[in-house]
Amino acid sequence: MIRGLIILLSFQSAGEIVSRLFSLPVPGPVIGLVLLLAFLIRRGKVDAPIDIVASAMVKNLGLLFVPAAVGVVMFLPQLKANFWAISIALTVSVVATIAVSAAILRFWPGHRQIVAEEHKEAA
Amino acid sequence: MTPALPIAEIWVYLAGSPLFALLLTLVAYEAGLMIYERSNRNPFANPVAIAVILVAIGISLIDMPYAKYFEGAQFIHFLLGTATVALAVPIYQCWDSLRGKVLPLIISLLCGGAVSILTAVFTARLFGADLTIQKAMLAKSVTAPIAMGVAERISASPTLTAVFAVCTGVIGAILARYILDALRLTAWWQRGFAIGVAAHGIGTSRAMSIHPQAGAFAGLAMGMHGVAGAVLIPLIADVII
Repeated sequence: MIRGLIILLSFQSAGEIVSRLFSLPVPGPVIGLVLLLAFLIRRGKVDAPIDIVASAMVKNLGLLFVPAAVGVVMFLPQLKANFWAISIALTVSVVATIAVSAAILRFWPGHRQIVAEEHKEAA
Repeated sequence: MTPALPIAEIWVYLAGSPLFALLLTLVAYEAGLMIYERSNRNPFANPVAIAVILVAIGISLIDMPYAKYFEGAQFIHFLLGTATVALAVPIYQCWDSLRGKVLPLIISLLCGGAVSILTAVFTARLFGADLTIQKAMLAKSVTAPIAMGVAERISASPTLTAVFAVCTGVIGAILARYILDALRLTAWWQRGFAIGVAAHGIGTSRAMSIHPQAGAFAGLAMGMHGVAGAVLIPLIADVII
């Protein structure tokens, strides 16, 4: 487990360094993700120590949002005057975004076939 | 000496150490998970939302300022960056199934991202929200840490942007199932990707709890949206506002 943690933190640090060195708009962890992905593709497999730590973290991803999101809740009363405008705008936007990105994938030419083939494989 | 004094002293000590904030966060999340599982993973019983409400009630009851709470909970918050790196693993595991899907995924992401910005900004404008709020809507579909950086570059409020990003994540995690069912999407990768485009991390966390492939594609969408948003949103910000 420690070895997996060392590897993940190293990729995070590498991402942080690259992001700062080239003053990129993308934060360190996202670059770390890309670097780790490139490493895994080159290596052709996920070593057990990485898998153990990464799976545990990804499974509990929600927990990690809690401290920052509590700050959001404490901030909400300041938005009282615009409550409805904000709620409606966010809801409309989320529904439209999911619908459009989903519809493109579903109705992409040839995709129904890909989906069908995958289902056959699964069966 | 009354026995109340030592207890008060112990309490002062506990509230001052990270222990209390950590314990409160973990207990609240565990409670959120229990309710989520009991409800048969009903999207409305979102574990993150439940945990956040419980923690907010908890620290309000004992008059703990948010800054004090965060001082302790930052150990959990820090791991968010590491967990983002860890998302490379589920994405790698569905790497082979990406063949033939790259172009539709990119188009889906770009159109979804554009729709997310336009609908948010113009709906807010239509309902009379001021310019500060409209600007903060621009980056809200991007994962919060990137959204805050983008907000700074387009001189929007990073705090307000983060608030909208988190709310977007929760709303998306709750509503996604109903929209995807209405559109009759059956493939997990399509469902996951659409959630990730709209609702970044909190949506990904919901997708992970439903199906590993949905989770992996949600993580992929979140990462792609983060990178594309960081580059493209500053370019179009002035045109829209």
